[in-house]
Amino acid sequence: MAFPHRPDAPELPDFSMLKRLARDQLIYLLEQLPGKKDLFIEADLMSPLDRIANVSILKQHEVDKLYKVENKPALSSSEQLCFLVRPRIKNMRYIANLVNADKLAGRTRKYKVIFSPQKFYACEMVLEEEGIYGDVSCDEWAFSLLPLDVDLLSMELPEFFRDYFLEGDQRWINTVAQALHLLSTLYGSFPNCYGIGRCAKMSYELWRKLEEEEDGETKGRRPEIGHIFLLDRDMDFVTALCSQVVYEGLVDDTFRIKCGSVDFGPEVTSSDKSLKVLLNAEDKVFNEIRNEHFSNVFGFLSQKARNLQAQYDRRRGMDIKQMKNFVSQELKGLKQEHRLLSLHIGACESIMKKKTKQDFQELIKTEHALLEGFSIRESTSYIEEHIDRQVSPIESLRLMCLLSITENGEPKRPKTDKAAGKITDAFSSLAKRSNFRAISKKLNLIPRVDGEYDLKVPRDMAYVFSGAYVPLSCRIIEQVLERRSWQGLDEVVRLLNCSEFAFTDMIKDDKASSESLRLILVVFLGGCTFSEISALRFLGREKGYRFIFLTTAVTNSARLMEAMSEVKA
Amino acid sequence: MDCYTANWNPLGDSAFYRKYELYSMDWDLKEELRDCLVAAAPYGGPIALLRNPWRKEKAASVRPVLDIYSASGVPLASLLWKSGPVVSLGWSAEEELLCVQEDGAVLVYGLHGDFRRHFSMGNEVLQNRVLDARIFHTEFGSGVAILTGAHRFTLSANVGDLKLRRMPEVPGLQSAPSCWTTLCQDRVAHILLAVGPDLYLLDHAACSAVIPPGLAPGVSSFLQMAVSFTYRHLALFTDTGYIWMGTASLKEKLCEFNCNIRAPPKQMVWCSRPRSKERAVVVAWERRLMVVGDAPESIQFVLDEDSYLVPELDGVRIFSRSTHEFLHEVPAASEEIFKIASMAPGALLLEAQKEYEKESQKADEYLREIQELGQLTQAVQQCIEAAGHEHQPEMQKSLLRAASFGKCFLDRFPPDSFVRMCQDLRVLNAVRDYHIGIPLTYSQYKQLTIQVLLDRLVLRRLYPLAIQICEYLRLPEVQGVSRILAHWACYKVQQKDVSDEDVARAINQKLGDTPGVSYSDIAARAYGCGRTELAIKLLEYEPRSGEQVPLLLKMKRSKLALSKAIESGDTDLVFTVLLHLKNELNRGDFFMTLRNQPMALSLYRQFCKHQELETLKDLYNQDDNHQELGSFHIRASYAAEERIEGRVAALQTAADAFYKAKNEFAAKATEDQMRLLRLQRRLEDELGGQFLDLSLHDTVTTLILGGHNKRAEQLARDFRIPDKRLWWLKLTALADLEDWEELEKFSKSKKSPIGYLPFVEICMKQHNKYEAKKYASRVGPEQKVKALLLVGDVAQAADVAIEHRNEAELSLVLSHCTGATDGATADKIQRARAQAQKK
Repeated sequence: MAFPHRPDAPELPDFSMLKRLARDQLIYLLEQLPGKKDLFIEADLMSPLDRIANVSILKQHEVDKLYKVENKPALSSSEQLCFLVRPRIKNMRYIANLVNADKLAGRTRKYKVIFSPQKFYACEMVLEEEGIYGDVSCDEWAFSLLPLDVDLLSMELPEFFRDYFLEGDQRWINTVAQALHLLSTLYGSFPNCYGIGRCAKMSYELWRKLEEEEDGETKGRRPEIGHIFLLDRDMDFVTALCSQVVYEGLVDDTFRIKCGSVDFGPEVTSSDKSLKVLLNAEDKVFNEIRNEHFSNVFGFLSQKARNLQAQYDRRRGMDIKQMKNFVSQELKGLKQEHRLLSLHIGACESIMKKKTKQDFQELIKTEHALLEGFSIRESTSYIEEHIDRQVSPIESLRLMCLLSITENGEPKRPKTDKAAGKITDAFSSLAKRSNFRAISKKLNLIPRVDGEYDLKVPRDMAYVFSGAYVPLSCRIIEQVLERRSWQGLDEVVRLLNCSEFAFTDMIKDDKASSESLRLILVVFLGGCTFSEISALRFLGREKGYRFIFLTTAVTNSARLMEAMSEVKA
Repeated sequence: MDCYTANWNPLGDSAFYRKYELYSMDWDLKEELRDCLVAAAPYGGPIALLRNPWRKEKAASVRPVLDIYSASGVPLASLLWKSGPVVSLGWSAEEELLCVQEDGAVLVYGLHGDFRRHFSMGNEVLQNRVLDARIFHTEFGSGVAILTGAHRFTLSANVGDLKLRRMPEVPGLQSAPSCWTTLCQDRVAHILLAVGPDLYLLDHAACSAVIPPGLAPGVSSFLQMAVSFTYRHLALFTDTGYIWMGTASLKEKLCEFNCNIRAPPKQMVWCSRPRSKERAVVVAWERRLMVVGDAPESIQFVLDEDSYLVPELDGVRIFSRSTHEFLHEVPAASEEIFKIASMAPGALLLEAQKEYEKESQKADEYLREIQELGQLTQAVQQCIEAAGHEHQPEMQKSLLRAASFGKCFLDRFPPDSFVRMCQDLRVLNAVRDYHIGIPLTYSQYKQLTIQVLLDRLVLRRLYPLAIQICEYLRLPEVQGVSRILAHWACYKVQQKDVSDEDVARAINQKLGDTPGVSYSDIAARAYGCGRTELAIKLLEYEPRSGEQVPLLLKMKRSKLALSKAIESGDTDLVFTVLLHLKNELNRGDFFMTLRNQPMALSLYRQFCKHQELETLKDLYNQDDNHQELGSFHIRASYAAEERIEGRVAALQTAADAFYKAKNEFAAKATEDQMRLLRLQRRLEDELGGQFLDLSLHDTVTTLILGGHNKRAEQLARDFRIPDKRLWWLKLTALADLEDWEELEKFSKSKKSPIGYLPFVEICMKQHNKYEAKKYASRVGPEQKVKALLLVGDVAQAADVAIEHRNEAELSLVLSHCTGATDGATADKIQRARAQAQKK
């Protein structure tokens, strides 16, 4: 079932170093404010922080109480307040209100603002305008890379997508460049670089500049990762807009994986409590099913359950000594596995329940029709019915976006509804001209299937969408890696409207080992989905590569749509 | 050699102190030292003299002169003092001269007499005048402590980051304390003061009386106190001629001494070396110098001239008009080697080497002796270490030669300690040279680090020597040569008599693309000297555009700065420039500038969205961007307006804008929304309940749920809700009400545009199988099987499917066949399938 890695697959670099670095830096910053202090943390930073430094570490460094940054007056009585925030204007206002209230009350405390991953001038300016710039000290916690898994690094910046692609705000590019710079100082420079997209190009150039400024020290390091590929999310919205059917993606779509862990509610845990579960390669059960098409998962799990039972049953024929052995060595592992197994079975059942309710099959069928570009009329009426039934505005909008892009951005607009009107902003920005049909043809994204597509033994990356569609982003990466350049892909690049922004850069380096040349870092600017990750993991197994993923955030269709709708201030 | 230890003086049984000459001074002092305010920086730093101070009450017409000399007496600067009366002088850790004036102002001068800045010690000090002041050094930097005329203390622990602290009052203090000093404990500066027989410790919260443990009785006042270089030890000199020595925490007494001299000493300083157990204090009177420690006898020297003591990390410097000497405890390694009749391995090795040079076989004897004891390694180490502590190059050489000789007989002696010592000594000898005048000892040098020493050379504008040292020590360019070149360039731009072109070219020629050189720093310096043109020229050489921007802004070249910022790709930088521009230009010009820079424009827009909505509107207005204006007003109608009239008005503005933008769809939608809002308002007035801000769909649903079918119909007609949609809506609403009768009526009102399957589905959702069955029969043939399965009529579903001969439907039914009850049906389907296949 679950495909093991090829025996010759290269070893992944150890990314836990990034965690240690971030932790040490945070501790250093906390120590800059000696004595007891209360820490205010922005909600978005809580989960990432938890992965870096838990409460007991914070307590060790004299953090007294923890508060969430929210629009409520703070009840802290500490003499020293420390704020750990993203560089956002609304946070500055929050801090300013707090400080000014103290001033009114004639109270003097020490304030320290730690910006993560960097501070922005606009923030300092707001502090200045509010008249508290002199009262607070500002610092930066350059924590921009969180290893969510052995092969997945996330910048945990979901706003990157909206800021860059919708608002045209380029400030995070610097953060990306800094992150890449950090990686190359830790793991050696990358001998082969490829990229596509405006943002990819800008990030790349800025990164190169950083390297030039600081060369000498990184030079001579043996590169551990042979290739880097930067890709803008707007090269391929289609993949991100599709419903996911690979287990990990489906879990994300259904329960929302947050910062590498998921909250399974009572319906999954079959108890009255919900449970926070870390989803990564350490979860042995999950690791075997995460990349599987959902239709295989049940079968796999029940097989697993039988095996487990058999292992439990073994103890019947045991004598005392064997039993002792069994209890001390195997039982714990079995119990652990048993617990995980029942959790994932619970999750599957819950997914099944939800999906069958809304006629998931119909939805998938429509999506596939859109991807393949036939029976547009039926698809359109399906979407209309979707609106008529008021299933969910976000869902309806997603389908409309999918329709718009796959029809090259010039659809006979379905009788647009108010739901769409509200978010015209988003719609018009998405409904720009695309050449999806032509690209799809050129790159063979819709596999020709004779007979049933065997999802148990996938032939190509299309399995992540039930064999109906090869993710465009992953196909581009595959093609470029095959050629080691963009050569011969001119037409595709032109169709992507990216002639100026596709680049290849080879840095002559004889020191790169053959091992490292099979490691590829893929950078998704604007987020990537679990389906894409699964698809590339599959490609890696087929070709003997290993992919490492760096994304501004893990995304899915719902997050993408939500990011584009106006946020209530 | 025999007289080598002639200048060694024993103190007690275990320690020797020696005094040797560093330089003979030829600084041509016109006045006696005692007539001057004197300040000498530690670590062989410069000496400042302010002649003719005010306390002498001489003719006011004569302006005093401030002279700065190197430690060897080479004049560095001389300037006429034009400001107010000075109370105290002192050097900061960065070798800046701090001059504390009577009015509490502190003037800061550079090594070359260049005025840097000034700061005040606060109003309280200004009012009460300064009685006395001390400059002290802590691990954070240099601090200033002030005793005011009101007998209060004010201090700042770090003049780089000025935070004034007024110390608490000493209760009942009527006159100035007889002596005082600053202590530094647990990262906080305290003040210790003596009033009559009492000692008080001031920290920033309280004043507490302290009593040194084991203090001899009969003390009626303290005349002098001294704290050691590291703030660890304290010495007190009493009016009985008694000296108490202990820890600075006043918890422990180390030793005491009675010198029987009751005259107040001029100076008292500690003389101890790091990691040595010996503690000693040097006390100076007019003509007498005394070293006292934990021994019944003291060492005495006669002072021929007026002298001044400078405490150092590992000893005391003593300078007078004619000489500059160093007094210190003889280090252990030197003592071992040079002590008379020493049999230490190092001493033997030195002897062996000398005999070897004389080609005497004694060399072999000595060497054997060491080797037999297995102490050759130790001997070599001792010689290397002792060489470091010798001042005379001759002696250094002979010790190193001995070490090198000894090394030959060792198999695996790691060479680095020897090599490093040779290098260090070369550097030290170079800076100790009379012309340079930095008499650092080896321990001081190690404490100071090479980086700081280089800084100090740069400060003295000794660029060539600094570069030679960097090259000699093979320091990385960024830390070494290029840093010094950058400093040189900064100095160069201050030469006003050279033209801009020449300076720029000279700098570029010498610096080229040396890594680590920041042209923008140099340009900043040029701008600081008022040479804007030169600064711009220099900035051209700066490869990182990000570095150019802040300076360009400072020089008011904002537009150039903007394009450089955009070039850099750093949005934050662009933003900085933008906000500068915004304040600098008038609005029209500002907008015009933005227009040519799309990236800057989009950034600014985003900022306005959060900060200045009105500006955003102006921006769109100026660009005639009606689409965005429309969106802007829509947002305003939801966010800013409360009253319904205001909201509708805002929507109207938006609709107009959309028309101008030729976005018919948006305009129409907006108008619809206005209509809906008005209508909802009316509904609320007439029917009560909540209608505002519901969607059209929800409004109609609410009406139906409330039983206002007529109005619902009307609304649907008014807004032209498509038929299909309306049917779905009604169906859902009626089912929610469980108004089955009405639902049935509705279903029969005309032919359903959405078919009847939804009716079945919705009834089943409400668990009403009975109603569901009614509709199942009306479902069209295509969906019949589905409908029948929904109501659970598997048998009939099977019949229909067989009739349709539809393979997909057959499997669907089959998958619904469960248990024994449907066994027959399943068989039936299998048979039908088999039959179909036959055909």
